[in-house]
Amino acid sequence: MADDKDVLRDVWFGRIPACFTLSPEETTEREAEPYYLLLPRVSYLTLVTDKVKKHFLRVMKAEDSTEMWFEYEGTPLKWHYPIGVLFDLHASNTALPWNVTVHFKNFPEHDLLHCTSNSVIEAHFMSCIKEADALKHKGQVINDMQKKDHKQLWMGLQNDKFDQFWAMNRKLMEYPTDEGGFRYIPFRMYQTMGERPFIQKLFRPVSPEGHTLTLGDLLKELFPAAICAEENPRPAALHVNPRCEWGNLQLALPPPSPPACLTTQPVTGTEISLSVPVLPW
Amino acid sequence: MKLLRVWNDMGMAGERNPASCYLDERTFRLCCQLFLQHSETIQDGWSWEQIKGTDEGFMKKTVLMPVKPSFLHKQHECSMQDENMVTDDVQANVEDETAGVQAVCEIHAVLRYEYHVLYSCSYQIPVLYFRASTLDGRPLSLEEVWSNVHPNYRQRLQQGPWDTLTQQEHPLLGQPFFMLHPCRTEEFMKPALDLAQAENKRMNYVVTWLSVVGPVVRLDVPLSYSTEVSAPD
Repeated sequence: MADDKDVLRDVWFGRIPACFTLSPEETTEREAEPYYLLLPRVSYLTLVTDKVKKHFLRVMKAEDSTEMWFEYEGTPLKWHYPIGVLFDLHASNTALPWNVTVHFKNFPEHDLLHCTSNSVIEAHFMSCIKEADALKHKGQVINDMQKKDHKQLWMGLQNDKFDQFWAMNRKLMEYPTDEGGFRYIPFRMYQTMGERPFIQKLFRPVSPEGHTLTLGDLLKELFPAAICAEENPRPAALHVNPRCEWGNLQLALPPPSPPACLTTQPVTGTEISLSVPVLPW
Repeated sequence: MKLLRVWNDMGMAGERNPASCYLDERTFRLCCQLFLQHSETIQDGWSWEQIKGTDEGFMKKTVLMPVKPSFLHKQHECSMQDENMVTDDVQANVEDETAGVQAVCEIHAVLRYEYHVLYSCSYQIPVLYFRASTLDGRPLSLEEVWSNVHPNYRQRLQQGPWDTLTQQEHPLLGQPFFMLHPCRTEEFMKPALDLAQAENKRMNYVVTWLSVVGPVVRLDVPLSYSTEVSAPD
């Protein structure tokens, strides 16, 4: 379990250096300098960019600003995806820092959810945790926790407190081996091609014959195009230690030859997100 | 949900195996097929949207809904307020504008509601998504949608812990929709299912479920669905 703790910490403290630039469409009273920030992979854009907002509002007229939103190379960034997923999806092939454009007007109503306060982020975060627990434990663990426990999960994320978060999260990551482990693995495979934002299916951690299944098995079943057969054998790192919770997985596979670049991004450890930018053939 | 207290009173007599509150995806699709057949018969406007290359899909219906003109202008003004931005000047401007517009618009405003019935594999139940806009395409804010929830349901919805009416990304289309949170479904479906089982009747899960959740967000489900639509085999 000791190595697992290291992996958990590495995941939690993962950072992406970003450079925020105000969109040239915004009208300012003075020139707007870009703002640099280290973004936590496990958090959400709107939760960690208060300073970005303050920085740009200083050079703008108050009446010119409505809800802040972000865009990367013309694509509005979905704040409700974990930052690490957004980066892996849109910019993992590019040099750092991640250049993000900041907007204060023309909110893209048809692309982005509104985020008018931190309680919206909290509700979304808790909703994800609840859904993941519905898959893992039929929701029994999350429903047995008290309101203050839920609050502790959120505060841990909001304030970047690993120990505070994991004190509660470890209950959600309990893996009852006598019952075959989690009922289903909570995962989403995000994609950038097509309308459908992600693939999410029921996937049991154990085969009908009783074999523990690996990440490779999951990918083979759901995204066979991304896993080439014999020509590009997957590295051994794909095998999952069955004792280890899926949330501990952190694999960064170097981009193989086209068509797919695969990175796995476990977020808080209660869910697993696979970012799969699929390049056209 | 207190809404179905009458169902609870009808008793959970007997210790027989409780009917499952959950719905597998295949049964969901079969229920929808039967639902859609009846919709066709009474011209209720529902259709099936298939996701290309899969056997997944959802039911969809668009409704035009008249509302009082003051509804829109008042709510739009409120929804523009943001913790950061509104100065006194802006507020005054907005009020002048709406006063002028209100004087002109005496006819009913019309809203466009689009309802989608999806299957959630995480919760193994159906979920209701919808989006709403004015006729000229302006999407309604959460506040406006809230205020269009029937007053009888509003207090119950606000009880949380995770607010039951929220903006969510549509899992198949990737666009912002509103969603009625599914975590309360078991509470009102269980008594209905137990009752049906006790009376040796088979019910169409989607019909029963939609008849309960639909009215909360102004979706009318005519009574004939309950009498005419059978359960899948």
